[in-house]
Amino acid sequence: MSRFVQLHLLTSYPPSNLNRDDTGRPKTALVGDANRLRVSSQSQKRAWRTSEGFEAALAGNLGTRTKRMGKEVFDALKAGGIDEKNAREWARLVARQFGKPKSEKNTENDADLEIEQLAHFSPEEKEAIQALTQALIARKDKPTDDELKLLGQPRRAVDIAMFGRMLADAAEHNMEAAVQVAHAITVHKAAVEDDYFSAVDDLNTKGDTGAGHIGERGYGAGLFYLYLCIDRELLAKNLGGDAALTHRALAALVDTVTKVSPTGMQNSFASRAYAGYVLAEKGNQQPRSLVQAFLKPVKPHGDESMFDKAVDALEARCKNFDAVYGACADGRFTLNVEKAQGSLQALTAFVAD
Amino acid sequence: MAFLVFQLQAPLAAWGEPAVGEARGTAATPSHSAIVGLLGAALGVDRTDEAGHAALRDGYGVAVALLRSGSLLRDYHTAQVPGRAALKGRPQFTRRQEMAVPKQDLNTILSTRDYRQNAACLVALQAMVPTAMPLEALASALRAPRFVLYLGRRACPPAAPLWPQVVEAASAHAAFNQYAQRFEAARQAAADPKGRIPLEPLDGIERLVFDERVQAGVAADLSTRRKDRLIRRAGWQFGDRTEHVALLPREA
Repeated sequence: MSRFVQLHLLTSYPPSNLNRDDTGRPKTALVGDANRLRVSSQSQKRAWRTSEGFEAALAGNLGTRTKRMGKEVFDALKAGGIDEKNAREWARLVARQFGKPKSEKNTENDADLEIEQLAHFSPEEKEAIQALTQALIARKDKPTDDELKLLGQPRRAVDIAMFGRMLADAAEHNMEAAVQVAHAITVHKAAVEDDYFSAVDDLNTKGDTGAGHIGERGYGAGLFYLYLCIDRELLAKNLGGDAALTHRALAALVDTVTKVSPTGMQNSFASRAYAGYVLAEKGNQQPRSLVQAFLKPVKPHGDESMFDKAVDALEARCKNFDAVYGACADGRFTLNVEKAQGSLQALTAFVAD
Repeated sequence: MAFLVFQLQAPLAAWGEPAVGEARGTAATPSHSAIVGLLGAALGVDRTDEAGHAALRDGYGVAVALLRSGSLLRDYHTAQVPGRAALKGRPQFTRRQEMAVPKQDLNTILSTRDYRQNAACLVALQAMVPTAMPLEALASALRAPRFVLYLGRRACPPAAPLWPQVVEAASAHAAFNQYAQRFEAARQAAADPKGRIPLEPLDGIERLVFDERVQAGVAADLSTRRKDRLIRRAGWQFGDRTEHVALLPREA
């Protein structure tokens, strides 16, 4: 099995402000002496790992979203002959594993058994909860800490297995990230534009003339190059050698990185975009990004397409690296939306197998 | 004598200086500890393997040829974390789970992270002790590393193969020049039928930075102390190291 899978993506964002600096303007970087818009690595990762799709994809799309799992457990325990007080207490302990309880106190509508936010339960998790409930009924005793922790841990650890965790005060929980993500930059020279906007005061019919509010906001649009490198062996190791889970994790990652955009100012710009081009590479060779394809900013002339020129530059750099340094990968797969070439399913198969 | 030479190029690199808390600076050239870490990653030395790191630290003299110092990028970095009280008694296996608290319980941690934009350098290693792993073995590890490589921060992947080469030369300076010649020859050899030569040529050497053990081949213009000698990986402890700097006139 090839150790590394590298993904090179081109995603075109309309006017947006996905990732802001301390003054609220889109982040930038200087690459090859030309200014570019930039979306930081951490911003992309945050959007991916907190996205609903990421969680749902890992649950096999068959999960249940609910706040009321605690109530289910409570009812099952009571039906199993556990007295109300114990059933309530044990069900609360289970519910807490999935979110903050709505109430600490016993209320009329069982708010103490509900959690504040919807949580996603995979079929495996539901089974694990049911099994635990039955075990509690059988031995008529409360769940142990270890039992509670085990509820759904394998699936839940997937994002940590991919993106790592650093805890200074609990080093034993640290995990080395198996996925490396670079800052995304535009393939072309891009400036941050200023949007000067005014808002009308609807009730101000006569009186003062002029706007009720004025403001300005930085934004930019561009074709971004994204790069990530997956260490599949480390990912499998982080997931305890579970091959099926690793496979699902990789599929979820491919699905997420091609479809999920950073959340910054989405209500103002609705700039959600899917990747238009993906080059995937497999091999044990030292991974390298292809960002140098855009050292010279892409600049279409006449009716040339920015997208096509960027794809050409990327593929040329890939070929030239092979020519000068020797083959940089053992296998490649291309998805190109403009040419209707490749599919997400085929890409996922390439990445995960 | 033999040198192992490789290149480090990326649009963003971060060579951390001593930093505690909010400001995370970067130097222009890789620190000794960063190079030890890079070799460790290539060989698959675990972060907890103190002996493995010590062997890499003591085994080789290091010289760095700065080709392009690049410019400074100051990144405003925010991270959201729920307060401890909000997390109490709740599992935090995933980031999504950790953040599943009411909005008012989320706090923001700020930090300022510096990067060098468009920086490039060459690194030369000279074996110092007989027990050091052979340079050829290091070269193969860099060609097919065990862990992903990065230039100081994980978000800074190399933008070109490191292309490690073992070079016979009288000094590190001579070794760098030989490496540049080999690279140019490889570029020329890869020209397409129309005679177009791929990739960009390497820049000339701006500055040579080396430790006292290495045979540099140039006289130092200044010597500084840098706190980048790895003492203990687990505790992030670093000791002083003398670094010599030679400023070279750019060859046209």
